[in-house]
Amino acid sequence: MIRLLSLLLLLALWQGAAVFADPRRLPGPVPVFEAIAHEAETGALFTNLAATLARVAASFLLAMSLGAALGYAMGRRPALDRLFDPWLVILLNLPALVVIVLAYLWAGLTEAAAIGAVALNKLPNAIVVMREGARALDHELDEMAEVFRLRPAARLRHVVLPQLSPYLAAATRSGLSLVWKIVLVVELIGRSNGVGFEINMAFQLFDVRLLLAYAIPFVLLMLGVETFLVQPFERHVSRWRRRPARGQGRA
Amino acid sequence: MSRDGAAALLEVRVAHKDHASAGGKPQRVLENLCFSLPAGRAGALVGPSGCGKTTLLRIIAGLDAAFSGEVTLPAGGRLGMVFQEPRLLPWRSVIDNLRIAAPQASEATLSALLAAFELSEHARHFPGELSLGLARRVAIARALAIEPDLLLLDEPFVSLDDALARDLRARIAALIDESHVTTLIVTHDLREAIELADVVFLLSPRPARVGATLMIETPRRLMTKEVADALEARARKEIEAMRGR
Repeated sequence: MIRLLSLLLLLALWQGAAVFADPRRLPGPVPVFEAIAHEAETGALFTNLAATLARVAASFLLAMSLGAALGYAMGRRPALDRLFDPWLVILLNLPALVVIVLAYLWAGLTEAAAIGAVALNKLPNAIVVMREGARALDHELDEMAEVFRLRPAARLRHVVLPQLSPYLAAATRSGLSLVWKIVLVVELIGRSNGVGFEINMAFQLFDVRLLLAYAIPFVLLMLGVETFLVQPFERHVSRWRRRPARGQGRA
Repeated sequence: MSRDGAAALLEVRVAHKDHASAGGKPQRVLENLCFSLPAGRAGALVGPSGCGKTTLLRIIAGLDAAFSGEVTLPAGGRLGMVFQEPRLLPWRSVIDNLRIAAPQASEATLSALLAAFELSEHARHFPGELSLGLARRVAIARALAIEPDLLLLDEPFVSLDDALARDLRARIAALIDESHVTTLIVTHDLREAIELADVVFLLSPRPARVGATLMIETPRRLMTKEVADALEARARKEIEAMRGR
């Protein structure tokens, strides 16, 4: 309820500011929603949203799966960690723009270069979070799995993954927002569709209305992903934590 | 590991086992520690706190390979272990904890086990919802679910109140009599050992070895207070002698 109220307040502030501002610099909510409706009617909105969303999904999955595997390996094996930690620090501090431009220069203005560049930007972040998770794995449960000779698949599914899932959820949260912001930059520089491409068009034409008409639906889309996918997943994997302790042991 | 007949027992020979202490100097925990336990019998390792009992149990369980000596497990070599802390998977229900440890066990077997420990109503609970007494019972049920060739119990009654400990002791005694599983219990409580085991190994202070072996001829079910008192007195004398040496 408060969340809704807070969003309405933001909308009111926007409307209020738009009354006093030059409509070319800050159009009000009504013209922007008209523009959204127009773009939706021509179908351009959905094609571009879909293109961007596909890039977000591809680079996110690539970064998360690689990052989880590498982070887990580094968290479990100190030797690997010492060997690759400097690489990780370099990658963490490499500006996103440098990675993007290099990828386009080396691989051409291709889809693979775009997705690879975004994934590479997210990768160190995923590795760092998953490495923390792997370091925090419970040694006692490892021993239990050892004594009971759990198969590797069962160990992964029942012992390791449940312990890593809060870290996976955290990496997903910070990762999704980071990835979609970088995807827009990649599209702006070297793609001919997607939200980033449309924003570039709006910039060239000085069309703030069009810019907002693409930015707002995409923000809403990502909010939806967070609310309807990420949060329910988090609740599901942590359901065992919530319940209170029950009575004494005697039957 | 599985030579017929001769290997149907647990045989432990630890020449020595050292811990690296905080200062970096190795400390001898176990030395010349040998004992063997016939198949189907229950043995108890009794010693003062900190004498290296848990270390010994970890060696037998194969969790610690940094020792010199040899451990021969009963034929089959399947280990059911009950750690001091229950070590259940907190994100899996009680019944799933059993299923994961014993994927080959049938649902009927598992239900029967839960029923035997009066855990049926807790099958769908998560371990965090259980008291320590209940969680211990689940851990014991889990160890039995795999139909072990050797059951290892590390201080199964520690931090339970008297009534709970007595209840659990009776259950374990009944279970050893019924299933004839080879069992090794580690405890600091001499009386507990006498009431549960067929043979009690008294460990010396560090570096620990088996200082004396006490055979309990009276079957568990027929054990009376008088017999237990007499055995306890005998064991205390042995322990005094060990300290004197």
